[in-house]
Amino acid sequence: MAGIQLRGLTKRFGSVVAVDDLSLDVADGELIALLGPSGCGKTTTLRTIAGFETPDAGEIYFGERRVSDLLPEQRRIGMVFQNYALFPHMTVAENVAFGLEMRKTPAAALRERVAAVLAKVQLTGLEKRYPRQLSGGQQQRAALARALVVSPDVLLLDEPLANLDAKLREEMRFYVRSLQQEVGITTVYVTHDQAEAMVIADRIAVMFAGRIHQLGAPADIYHRPATATVAEFIGLTNFIEGKVIGQHGALLNVDTSLGVLTCQGSLPSPDARPMLLVAVRPEALRLSAPSGSPPAENRLDGAVKARAFLGNIVDYRIAVSPSVVLRVQGAPHDSFAVGDRVAVTFEPAAAWSVPSREDTA
Amino acid sequence: MRRAAWLLVAPAVALVVVLFVMPYANLLVMSFFTPATTAPYEPTVTLGNYKVALADSFQWRVLWRTLKLGVLATVATLMLGYPLAWNLARASGRTKAALLVLLLSPLLVGVVIRSFGWMVLLADQGLVNSLLRRSGLAPGGFKLMYNEFGVLVGTVHIFLPFMVLSIAGALENIAPDLPLAARSLGASATKAFWRIVVPLSLPGVFAGCLLVFVLTVSSYVIPVLLGGFKVITTPLLVVQTAVDVSNWPGAAAQAVVLFAASLACIGVYVSLMNRAMRGLSG
Repeated sequence: MAGIQLRGLTKRFGSVVAVDDLSLDVADGELIALLGPSGCGKTTTLRTIAGFETPDAGEIYFGERRVSDLLPEQRRIGMVFQNYALFPHMTVAENVAFGLEMRKTPAAALRERVAAVLAKVQLTGLEKRYPRQLSGGQQQRAALARALVVSPDVLLLDEPLANLDAKLREEMRFYVRSLQQEVGITTVYVTHDQAEAMVIADRIAVMFAGRIHQLGAPADIYHRPATATVAEFIGLTNFIEGKVIGQHGALLNVDTSLGVLTCQGSLPSPDARPMLLVAVRPEALRLSAPSGSPPAENRLDGAVKARAFLGNIVDYRIAVSPSVVLRVQGAPHDSFAVGDRVAVTFEPAAAWSVPSREDTA
Repeated sequence: MRRAAWLLVAPAVALVVVLFVMPYANLLVMSFFTPATTAPYEPTVTLGNYKVALADSFQWRVLWRTLKLGVLATVATLMLGYPLAWNLARASGRTKAALLVLLLSPLLVGVVIRSFGWMVLLADQGLVNSLLRRSGLAPGGFKLMYNEFGVLVGTVHIFLPFMVLSIAGALENIAPDLPLAARSLGASATKAFWRIVVPLSLPGVFAGCLLVFVLTVSSYVIPVLLGGFKVITTPLLVVQTAVDVSNWPGAAAQAVVLFAASLACIGVYVSLMNRAMRGLSG
């Protein structure tokens, strides 16, 4: 067992920089999700850790062991591919035994370990089946068994649930998470699905254009996205641009086109532009009738422009000025109709500031 | 619906029956008739043609040579073709198009022209021998054609594209992650190739070998031109018996024997390959 350290990892394909001076520490036994849209470099990062790509710069360590110059077969990794990459001409048992065979495990020990790991992933009885005779979920578990049976130093998962149907995918999230914790193996998990990353990861690294924009626990990433890009990628966010005019402890007063709003945040550094964005999630916005004397702080008056019933929530679009439409999500019982005048309010603690896009671009 | 489907294949079935099944049936029937001098045959049933074909040691030697050339050409095209197919399968875009043109362009020239091309190279006073003599490497030169070697060279060259295309198709169907998965499990690149890529390419190898074998044992022009009637194979013998000796029933019997022998070889080969490809299909 070992942690993973990436130091200044850079990978270019022609003129495209796929991974851009990326550094990351994964603690021993930790599961980090690399989350980002397609083309953000998350899979390239994973394949570089695996040794399938040679980095143009940077180093990779597994614990104390420098692996950047090693061939994939020398790195002691376990990898699960998006399409599972089970060997179609081998049975489940032969697939799982392959890694042990390569390590020249004696026959008796090999049989024992294959049986043990197949029991762990609940595939006992399917040893003689070929991969195409398994369901998607079973193939997935066979791929996990094949990667884990060799007791690798690190486990690398490349969108392992992307090919499963929605219901099974949700079950497998919890399954993969509990299996990883049971084995206690350091894991890098690549996904473009934010919900999957939230469920499965100790920490999430949100990647755009080859760089990590933010690294943190799922709750931190969701409640305090560091940039507008991260906030937009993870969940829905309303942005209101403004200029800081005052600070009271952890709260900022921001002068916006909709009036002065109060949110969490710190003063931008003196050399930064004074403009920033107030970010607030749709579920943090509350709707009330203007007559019901809503609080005066962080109050925006508007009208319901559109309304969609989604079952567990109602999704509103509220026009609070001719140019600003806010997304508001509320419980189905507080119901407003299209055209209703409403007051939109939010707690200062539920809103936060992020640098305006020009500063992060 | 079912009737419509049958109607749609009817032209193809008619073509096969008229041009393929009927001549073969005719050949089979003819092989049991008595040879005659004034007509192609005399419609008296006899086993005499087969008695001659199977008792004559010369005919057995010809058959053996034919099948041996078939096997040698198959093995040689396989060994030359697999690396070509590997590179073709891995290439993409313009490189792949260029390789395909290079591979297929010889097919645009007829087999006669290509055999003549080899004769220019391999003749006693040909390009290869004059270079060998002039460079002093082999002052006497080598006998490169009008023998089995020459026939084999021509055969391998002319049938190589069939092998390459069959194998490249199979290699292209192998997901690129499979050898990588083997590497991640501790297999060297060489091991991953032999344990994963080769077994998964067997269907293409299977098809390519079958094609080259049947094309070789039935080829006529290449042994005639590059063997110069010194390398007699069964197709040559069949033509000589029919045309030169005017013994049509005898030629028919020889053809049927070749057909049966090839079928036996293919049968053994198919059962061996099926065992090798257990798990790849079905």
